[in-house]
Amino acid sequence: MGKVKLFWQSECPKCPQAKVVGNVLKKEGLEVIDYDIDTVDGLAEATYYGVLSTPTLIVEDPEGNPIADFRGTIPSPEEIREILLNDQEVRKRHQLPV
Amino acid sequence: MATLKEIKKKKGKGEEETTDLAIFVRTSSEDFSGWDRQKIVDALVRETYVDIDTAESISKEVQEQIAASKISVITTPLIRELVDAKLIERGLEDARRMHTRLGVPLYDVDHLILHPNKENANVPHGPEATNLTLAEGIKKEYALLNVFSQEIGDAHTRGDIHLHDLGFIDRPYCSGQSLEYIKRYGLSLPNSLSMAKPAKHPEVLLAHMVKFAAALQSHFAGAIGWDAITLFFAPYLVGKSDEEITQLAQMLIFEFSQQAVARGGQAIFTDINLYWEVPKHFENVPAIGPGGEFTGKTYSAYAREAQKFAWALFDVYKEGDGTGRPFFFPKPLVHITEKFFSTEGHQDFLYHICDVASEKGNTYFVFDRRSTAKISECCRLSFKLEAQDFADAMQPWKMRYCALQNVTINLPRLGYLSNGDDTKLFSKIAEFMEMAVKAHIEKKAFIEKLLSLGENGPLALLTMNKDGEPYLRMGRATYLIGMLGLNELVKIHTGKELHESKEAFKFGLKVISHMDLLAKKLSQKHQMRFVLEQTPAESTAYRFARLDLKYHSPQSGHVVKGDISKGEVYYTNSTYYAVSAPINPIERVIKEGLFHPRIEAGALTHIWLGEARPSKESLANFVVKIFRESLNDQVAFSPEFTTCISCGKTSRGLRESCIYCGSQNIEGITRITGYFTKISSWNKGKIGELRDRFRNEGYFEEAEKREIMA
Repeated sequence: MGKVKLFWQSECPKCPQAKVVGNVLKKEGLEVIDYDIDTVDGLAEATYYGVLSTPTLIVEDPEGNPIADFRGTIPSPEEIREILLNDQEVRKRHQLPV
Repeated sequence: MATLKEIKKKKGKGEEETTDLAIFVRTSSEDFSGWDRQKIVDALVRETYVDIDTAESISKEVQEQIAASKISVITTPLIRELVDAKLIERGLEDARRMHTRLGVPLYDVDHLILHPNKENANVPHGPEATNLTLAEGIKKEYALLNVFSQEIGDAHTRGDIHLHDLGFIDRPYCSGQSLEYIKRYGLSLPNSLSMAKPAKHPEVLLAHMVKFAAALQSHFAGAIGWDAITLFFAPYLVGKSDEEITQLAQMLIFEFSQQAVARGGQAIFTDINLYWEVPKHFENVPAIGPGGEFTGKTYSAYAREAQKFAWALFDVYKEGDGTGRPFFFPKPLVHITEKFFSTEGHQDFLYHICDVASEKGNTYFVFDRRSTAKISECCRLSFKLEAQDFADAMQPWKMRYCALQNVTINLPRLGYLSNGDDTKLFSKIAEFMEMAVKAHIEKKAFIEKLLSLGENGPLALLTMNKDGEPYLRMGRATYLIGMLGLNELVKIHTGKELHESKEAFKFGLKVISHMDLLAKKLSQKHQMRFVLEQTPAESTAYRFARLDLKYHSPQSGHVVKGDISKGEVYYTNSTYYAVSAPINPIERVIKEGLFHPRIEAGALTHIWLGEARPSKESLANFVVKIFRESLNDQVAFSPEFTTCISCGKTSRGLRESCIYCGSQNIEGITRITGYFTKISSWNKGKIGELRDRFRNEGYFEEAEKREIMA
């Protein structure tokens, strides 16, 4: 299955809520990677994905290709789960690695 | 000429001293004076910190030396050199530095007078230009000895960093201007022979603008950018016919493109910022009209006149000069915004400016996405407008900006020094950034000293106060930190160039992110605004490559770009992909554009067209795609031309001979870093880069076919 990249920063009022979504997904066993954009690694990764506002969540397929993004908005855990499951289904149909 | 006749006389009890030499000294004030040892003592005491006894002792030794040498000619520079040698013998290095004479060897002056200056392709060759180059040479030495500390001067000389425009040390780097200032206050400059009231006619306003630009050019080292000029001219254009507006457009472009306007025959590096729409921040601003009077309307009432003027300017650009060559200056920067796409007539205007971009290459497309607004100038420098600027916009004459200095960091050098060790590399980046900051603090102190002299000082123009604050708003100045050769640093560190692997590309982003975060931290610490800029690096890319070949061979021999055997070596500018990278234009725009949000003071992507002449529709589609699908800040398309000196005609592409008359007396023209110029004036490094440019001439043709098929 794919993974979720969550970009946040300390001064951002909506970021704690996005982190809650991330934690829910983590507890369900999904791979969620947090990036603090006030750090070099976090900012570099955010720059690679053209992240201009926080929170941003990028959903990637198992090969690292972005399949959905939420920029400045916060999806529910269900939305993310559905995106990943749909992608998994499509990949299975096309006999791609999942 | 002086003659030295030594007369030794006895002094005291058998003590022999050469105190009274019948010697004439040629002084620097074009005069002869008799020998007077006391003058050495006085100079040492006045200019250095040596004590009187040491000064006496040195002066006597020098006198002995002169007497013993039987020298037939003596000049004050030679005496000074002899004194300096004595200071060195005593280990008085600081005193020697303070006592240094600045100047230029005879051989160099001869060379300068006879040969063109290749450091800046915008400077022609002629007596006035030679004066400029000589003055620059001396001011450079002065800056390194007297403005910057030894540490910073050495870092520049070694090539760890590059202090730009050292020859213009006594002025800020570049600036953004508002036409509203001269509309409101007229042309009333300190030290000028006459004062002009606010213009009543558009031609007079243009004359004021050109003269003010020339005055500003002699107070700034680099570009002069003008904001929203068609909008600010618009109240003067009410009721004017199309012919009159076209005439004004021609006058504006010719006035700014003519050489020998001011400094050393150097064209004023001018950027004009243009909008098709009335920018949001000027919509409700009271308009200033003829005579500097408020018209009673806001600028939103003048959209039509502004558009007519903008259209006419691009008509003139499309035609080119008298021989059909592109105008080198002023550079038109068209801002593409969300509002642009909702303004009537935008599609036709987009085609018009794309036509010019394809035909002559003049148009720069500046992308202001979301609520961003900026003033662009120089090769890519831009000032993003912030909350205070939007407040100033209600009184647009206040919207004047400046970057005080540009310091560029040699990124490949950091690669050689860190030997593939990440920790060492990132720590070295911080060390070099700290050096750049120190250089800025030192330059700031120097400029503040000059400004403090007020109206009697050398920067009187920048201290004039007509609206409650000095013309140069030091509190709003930015301090640029440029970078050069990210592509080569990444290659040294990861083994691949930016375009060769995702890992290499991401590593490049990490380096720039690190620099961006550091700039912010250092800004907070020093309460100065340090921002990253893509340095144009017309000569720095060449200089750093040569210095690294000297200090970091043999490794650097595998890294520098160009042809080492011909000396045509260079590093890739700023965060660019290698110019030779065989990638299509859209990929280049998107990938290079990912760096742009980190480079606050401006960035640009070049598309080298070569001989290709894409249709206006194809380029317009491309521009819209860039706006919608990338984060790229600015794009320019660069065609190449050959102009024939024999028959005066201009053809497309760079050629060995004229396609019309066969003459080989030709001149190649294309964009060097951020402006068009003649290739014969380029330095060797840029010639090497030109040879390497990947032009991908078929891309737009194929794109057009795909569109037709679709």
